[in-house]
Amino acid sequence: MAEIFVENEKAYKRRRLISNIVTFGFLSLVAIGILIPFYWMILTSLKSIQEIESVPPILWLNFSDWKITNYTDLFLTVQSGERAGEPLFPFFTYMKNTVLISFLTTLGTIITTILAAFAFARLNFKGKDTLFAVLLATMMVPGEIFILTNFLTINQFGWYDILTQTYTEAVLAMTIPFMISVFYVFYLRQTFRKIPDELYFAAKVDGTSDFKYLLKIMIPIAMPTIVTIIILNSMGAWSAYIWPAMVTTQDKYRLVSNGLRGAFTDTTGRTDYGQQMAAATLVTVPLIILFFTFRKQIMRGVGRSGIKG
Amino acid sequence: MEKRNNLKAWLYLAPLLILMGIFIFYPLINAFYISILEEYRPLAPGGATATGYTLSNFARILNDELFWQAIKNTFVVAFISVPISILISLVIAVSLNSIPKLKALYQTVFFLPYVTNAIAIGMAFAFMFHKDYGLINLMLSWLGIDPVNWVGNVATWWAQMGALLVYTIWGGLAFKILVFTSGLQNIDKQYYDAAKIDSASKWTVFRRITVPLLSPFILYISITSMIGALKAYRTVIGLFGERLGAQQNSMITIVAYVYKYRSAYQDVSAISYAASAAIILFFITVVFSLIQGVVSRKRVHY
Amino acid sequence: MEIKMENLTKVFVAKDKSEVRAVDNVSLTIPSGKLIGLLGPSGCGKSTTLYLLAGLLRQNDGKIYFEEDEVSNTPPEKRGIGLVFQNYALYPHMTVRENILFPLQNLKVEAELAKQKTVEMARLVGLESMLDRKPKELSGGQQQRVAIARALVKTPRVLLLDEPLSNLDARLRLQTREEIKRIQRETQITTVFVTHDQEEAMSISDEIVVMKDGVIQQMGAPQDVYDDPSNLFVAKFLGNPQINVFDGVIKGKKIYINDMVVGKSKLPDGEVLIGIRPEGFIVDQEKKSPFKFNIDLVSTIGRDTTLIVDLPSESDNILDKKSFKAIVDAMLRIQSGDEIHFIVRPEKMFLFNMEGERLE
Repeated sequence: MAEIFVENEKAYKRRRLISNIVTFGFLSLVAIGILIPFYWMILTSLKSIQEIESVPPILWLNFSDWKITNYTDLFLTVQSGERAGEPLFPFFTYMKNTVLISFLTTLGTIITTILAAFAFARLNFKGKDTLFAVLLATMMVPGEIFILTNFLTINQFGWYDILTQTYTEAVLAMTIPFMISVFYVFYLRQTFRKIPDELYFAAKVDGTSDFKYLLKIMIPIAMPTIVTIIILNSMGAWSAYIWPAMVTTQDKYRLVSNGLRGAFTDTTGRTDYGQQMAAATLVTVPLIILFFTFRKQIMRGVGRSGIKG
Repeated sequence: MEKRNNLKAWLYLAPLLILMGIFIFYPLINAFYISILEEYRPLAPGGATATGYTLSNFARILNDELFWQAIKNTFVVAFISVPISILISLVIAVSLNSIPKLKALYQTVFFLPYVTNAIAIGMAFAFMFHKDYGLINLMLSWLGIDPVNWVGNVATWWAQMGALLVYTIWGGLAFKILVFTSGLQNIDKQYYDAAKIDSASKWTVFRRITVPLLSPFILYISITSMIGALKAYRTVIGLFGERLGAQQNSMITIVAYVYKYRSAYQDVSAISYAASAAIILFFITVVFSLIQGVVSRKRVHY
Repeated sequence: MEIKMENLTKVFVAKDKSEVRAVDNVSLTIPSGKLIGLLGPSGCGKSTTLYLLAGLLRQNDGKIYFEEDEVSNTPPEKRGIGLVFQNYALYPHMTVRENILFPLQNLKVEAELAKQKTVEMARLVGLESMLDRKPKELSGGQQQRVAIARALVKTPRVLLLDEPLSNLDARLRLQTREEIKRIQRETQITTVFVTHDQEEAMSISDEIVVMKDGVIQQMGAPQDVYDDPSNLFVAKFLGNPQINVFDGVIKGKKIYINDMVVGKSKLPDGEVLIGIRPEGFIVDQEKKSPFKFNIDLVSTIGRDTTLIVDLPSESDNILDKKSFKAIVDAMLRIQSGDEIHFIVRPEKMFLFNMEGERLE
């Protein structure tokens, strides 16, 4: 017969307290581990060279000791070399490029995605299931395979010429190949399919065309999903690294990630960590702001992508 | 009705399919084609040239020590970081699920790595791992451990790999925690009540209730993160820059190997080597997906 | 094992900070070895009471004793109870065998013995041949029996059942409730069983406890509670068809409904509510009783005839119309439109004050 365990109120409360301390303690520890790199990045960016190179490292800076010289130095003009006349870290140029690329890619992606998701969710056509399966299968293929040929294709299109590439050509090269996302088509199609058929039939009876139905009924209903797609896709340009570096001929056409690495090493091979961390902070902050603004949509969207699999 | 819809459907699909044709399907097939071209020079003045078909591109890759270095590095990253990060994020998700308050706050903090720039944070990590000025060695010294040269010029392979693994795991937790927490919310709370009635300990509940009921999510996460880890690249760039390691190429990965040739496309066969390496990577990911597909059929149904 | 609850209270706080006293100062003793039905409409606190007994919810106030042991602070896994959930909560990834074995493994029962007990338990509930199936391969009734087996296998001191029959179809429900009764008799285990179905509770319980708004209304043997309800709520909740309620008056030791005498009472003069069970009406063949009506509707099923009488009403609104039901012998061959004189059996008539409290 099962034993009965007797515990008094005090012991019960103590057990609950201990269990809570253990759980919260563990979670807080992980949270600190997650936050430390951000803290270290920002802290270092506010230190002077002497502080950065002090051993053991300084863990805390009072507000009055913060130095913004690392930041202001980023915008100083380079005196000599191939980048003479440009800022050391042309953050605003990179930002402008990144925002533009992000905007154009997202605009293109959302258009191709909405149209295709509509066809898959609402229209009947021969080979629909096969085509959809083929599209899904492409998600399995590592992107590196495409990049090789795409680079040649961009060349063929005349968008990449070492001597004559214009800003427009660079922008085209960076955006057009990325106006595709099978994953978002899949995601949006799920949302579209939840819209009851009755609405469609009712619209048909009223003489609404398919396109108008898509525009006036489906898009507004699926707006939360579309917004999520827009936000997630926009963040992509911040991480783009290899492609922009491949298809642009000049530094001033490139995106934030490209500017980060390689710079801040002087001719003797010494890295200026303060400037490096200041640049990293500048690149990180807009993303964090974006995240906190759209926290719910981002986490919902990313979370849902996991549930489907 | 059917016929009209047919035409209309293709019109709606046209923008996506045209772009995919140019930038996905054609390059996919072309990659295989490029990989078997002999002395291929795609950017030769006056047009692309090749002298014939050959398998020597693959042979050259497979005889390249650097390629095997890349395979080794990539596999070590994948096989160590994926299981560890899955386990940690499972425990975190279960803990998150059990707390009455502050859940949203913790979730937000844990999600931060997902929305940051891999290169920027990689640089922050590199500096954290700095032998003299870094935080990691300072913390180790509190535990009485001598400073380790993690990412400096003379760092050992395992030290570099250690730093890379820590960064990879750190960056991979966010997505997994999010997926597992939403997975946990899908599990009927009654199973946990039933387990309590059945006198199950916390560990038993985790092992015999939570993990099996979460198994579809765990499988999904292991496939995606395995494939993700096999494509490791930006973490290496973030930590080590274009040198791809504390020593030249010491932390090179398969993807980095593919890209190694990118500045040399004018050269004979460079792009063919890159294509061959990319195709090998492709087959490795396919094999992993298949293995995991078989596992899922055997272990993940109820 | 005897279960004792003392001043047990559970308050739920909703998101808008409003409080619901789901269980309000409940004191109750459940005798050892009996099958007790906790009965009441949804939201009356019966399931909450069960979950408090199980330890899955924690009381805000009060105490729970199993025999002499106070278990108020004991976590559910250490209370030694078995619980059958409304949806059974069978682990979907485990076979029937693994489901039944699970509690034994947790209690570190020796493997060979545990195996043997599992088979024994499966035999008790008649599922020996299904041991290697997964829950989803079983019918609702079979799943239910697995849940009972899982709850019983560790020989708990108390078996708790939360609406165990509500997910079964009508035929299976009858069969399963006999099964539960049989198993309870065989094992002699103290059993508490929650239901909103009065017929179910009355048919298998040794005693029933009627609850409303977190408060116990009455406890007793089913027939005793039926025959002697302590208030209008209990009177109305037990019995199908429901008890008829009339507005009445007492004047000079006599009870009147619509100025017709229906019985005698020693109570002082005043307005009362009069409950008469449908089977409490006797047709006066001699037509002497003053309590007479024209029958509006007659429906005969087997040996019983139900007579429905619309009571006179001042309002034309159909919703204000009141009617009552009387069940009489079908042999009387009554037809609608007939004028019938009724005699009311005094033991089937209960008087309540306007607040619904029982008088006398």
